[in-house]
Amino acid sequence: MRRPPFLVVVLSLGATLFASLPIGYLAIRFIEGLDRALDEVFRLRTLELLGNTGLLVLSVSISAFVIGFSQAWLTTRSNIRFASVFAVLAALPLAIPSYVMALGYISVFPTFSGFFASWLVLTLATSPYVFLAVTASLVRVDTAGEEVARSLGFGRLSVLRKITWPQVAPAATASVLLVALYTLSEFGAIAILRYDTFTRAIFNAYRGSFDRTAAAALAIILLLITLLVIWLERRYRGANLLSSRALGKRVRVDLGRWSWVALPILVLVAALGVGLPIVSLTIWSIQGGSSINWGQLLEALWGSFSLAGLAGVIIGIFATAIALWAVRYRTKLGAFIETLAWATHALPAIVVGLALVFFGANITPWIYQTTWLLLIGYLILFLPNALAAISSPIARVPRSLEDLSQSLGTPANRTLFKIVLPIAMPGIIAGMALVSLTVLKELPATLLLRPTGVDTLATRLWTATETLSYSQAAPYAMLLIMLAGLPALALNAQARKAISEVREK
Amino acid sequence: MTLLKLSGLSKSFGDTKVLKSIDLELKSQELLAVLGSSGAGKSTLLRLIAGFERPTSGSMTLNGTEISNSNKVLAPDKRSIGIVPQDAALFPHLSVAQNIGFGLSKWSTGEKAARLKHLLELVELTDFADARPESLSGGQAQRVALARALAPRPALVLMDEPFSALDAELRARLRLDIRKILLAEGATAVLVTHDQEEALSLADRVAVLRDGQIGQIGTPTDIYNSPIDIGIATFLGDSVLVEGQVVKGKISTALGLLNPMGKVLDGDKGLTAIRYENFYLLPNPGGEGEVVGQVFFGHDAVLEVKIGDLVIRARSNGPFAPEVGMRVKVWVRGSVNFYAN
Repeated sequence: MRRPPFLVVVLSLGATLFASLPIGYLAIRFIEGLDRALDEVFRLRTLELLGNTGLLVLSVSISAFVIGFSQAWLTTRSNIRFASVFAVLAALPLAIPSYVMALGYISVFPTFSGFFASWLVLTLATSPYVFLAVTASLVRVDTAGEEVARSLGFGRLSVLRKITWPQVAPAATASVLLVALYTLSEFGAIAILRYDTFTRAIFNAYRGSFDRTAAAALAIILLLITLLVIWLERRYRGANLLSSRALGKRVRVDLGRWSWVALPILVLVAALGVGLPIVSLTIWSIQGGSSINWGQLLEALWGSFSLAGLAGVIIGIFATAIALWAVRYRTKLGAFIETLAWATHALPAIVVGLALVFFGANITPWIYQTTWLLLIGYLILFLPNALAAISSPIARVPRSLEDLSQSLGTPANRTLFKIVLPIAMPGIIAGMALVSLTVLKELPATLLLRPTGVDTLATRLWTATETLSYSQAAPYAMLLIMLAGLPALALNAQARKAISEVREK
Repeated sequence: MTLLKLSGLSKSFGDTKVLKSIDLELKSQELLAVLGSSGAGKSTLLRLIAGFERPTSGSMTLNGTEISNSNKVLAPDKRSIGIVPQDAALFPHLSVAQNIGFGLSKWSTGEKAARLKHLLELVELTDFADARPESLSGGQAQRVALARALAPRPALVLMDEPFSALDAELRARLRLDIRKILLAEGATAVLVTHDQEEALSLADRVAVLRDGQIGQIGTPTDIYNSPIDIGIATFLGDSVLVEGQVVKGKISTALGLLNPMGKVLDGDKGLTAIRYENFYLLPNPGGEGEVVGQVFFGHDAVLEVKIGDLVIRARSNGPFAPEVGMRVKVWVRGSVNFYAN
């Protein structure tokens, strides 16, 4: 068996160590202070938070599913007009960070808060995940099979239920669980819209008192719920019966008069998810244009870019090492390391941030309150994203080229650097860029871990929103959409694919 | 007894007329092949019959009941017309037995089990009852697709190029299988295909579809031996076209006097279509033809023979074909089709 180069091993192990230590430390702290922590857990307040969070997660999952599924079906399987325009509009909310969307709403309707507000904003922000997943599988369902079922005596609806749905179900279920995960770990939008869930309670408990046991206890509960949902999501992912490419010939259902129902609904969803927040933020930006503190804005811009750029490169290097080990060497240990790196996927940023605060303050005070701790936070949060983006370009380098290079006298490890990495480099760089853009939008961990005096676009927006100065917050929101959101959406392979597949006639 | 009747059936998509006034009758237990090149409107015809498209004009009756006209279309699930799509399109989430039994949901458990057992035996897939569709070969998948369509005893089964995804050897075998299965079930079927051999070897009757119209309809022998015009003659098989004129009931051509099939009028000028296999070549140093090219297929060979200014193609027994450069004597056997200008 071939052995991976030393550098690859060191980087991979380092990344997983960074990723697992703080969470482990949080668990240890919890168990050590078990008595007091349990007191905290069994308070009425916890029950209330559990109820609030559960209600929100459940209702957002259901509504995001209904909206995302309808958008996907209408744009790919019906003869609705402007299908490809609606497909773009359905994916577009991905470009708007959910806390920016929340700001867009609350700046227009100051009393817009609580459960309904959080439900609406999170539904609009997460339905694109369902839309993308369902579109991708709908275009792979063979419509000939549906026609066979019709010819065997089944009506449209029973064909949808018995033939189409079972084939789309794995992807749809996984995407709904993903929506549940996002809602569970969402902090910014919920805090801005003032609805009490775990994340907001954790943040307030952390900020409000010097005794951080309460925050830690709540964080552990949230962590456990999250792990449960992640486990469910893993179970549903993968079962895939569909062909790997989109089927060109697609029969579109004639909506007839129903298009007069479907069309306004699609327009309304687009107006609520994209139109309203962007229009309101644009108006606020123009109104506050004269009073913008340019110095602050440039400083935040520099803070965001330097942090995001640095994080993108560092996380990209670690991810490349892990991907090389797991994909090109296929050893058991490599696969295990990859699984471990994936494990942190979808952990609530607020929990990761809190774990690092504890870890930094107690174990590694020399990096506490430095950029390094923040970067470790980003590494934990976004290593899975980087792995997802970087693994496939590395896996796509043909093995035969490696064999050829070795047959020409280049040792295995040198081949890695002379053949594999150069060929995969464009994909790796795109992956790094995607991670940078994601980091740019990150709010909760940045709030908890940033060194005093460091500001980013997201933290500036947060501070201004807390003091209700929406005209101050709006320019940051617009910058975040334009600098991070839109490019991230453009780099999102899944979104691009879904939209082009809708276009295919 | 007439099972299916199409009267003046037309279909346009936008300004494109895909089918132009199709009239067709299908008898019970008949197997009709609709033969046409791609774009002739074959698939549209099937989709109209199955009820997935609405005709622009014309109507359609099944067992005497009108099921389609330009105003009203009986839904596909209410017609009892089974379909076998091109790529089998088995339901990927169901086993072979579940696929076949899909249309039997309203049957009693006992009847359903008996029907399933019978069909699995008929398509020789009893051992694969619990197999997943992705584990089947192309031929097996097509047999399952046929059994699935036949299961609820539909009035009619439509097959859309059911062999096109298969390799040549499998195709020939499956053709025999499907013919056998359809006969055993006493089913009525329409098969569309672009493959002449398939249409001629499988069907009771063949309808040639071109430019959205039925050019000719008849038994395979009728259609092959007496194509009504040059277009169908060349479409149905390899033919050499030679100019000629009718003289005293015979056709005078560069190849000599030939016997016409059917009636001809003295003095008419036109084209004679001679099938490759109607030529007989005999190596002879004094022959009027010279072999100038050869394509060898194994069981037979096609030879290019130059006779004066004319170059003809003739099919010859593969292993015994004259070689390039040889001189040959050329005969035309049997009667030929003559098409006056």
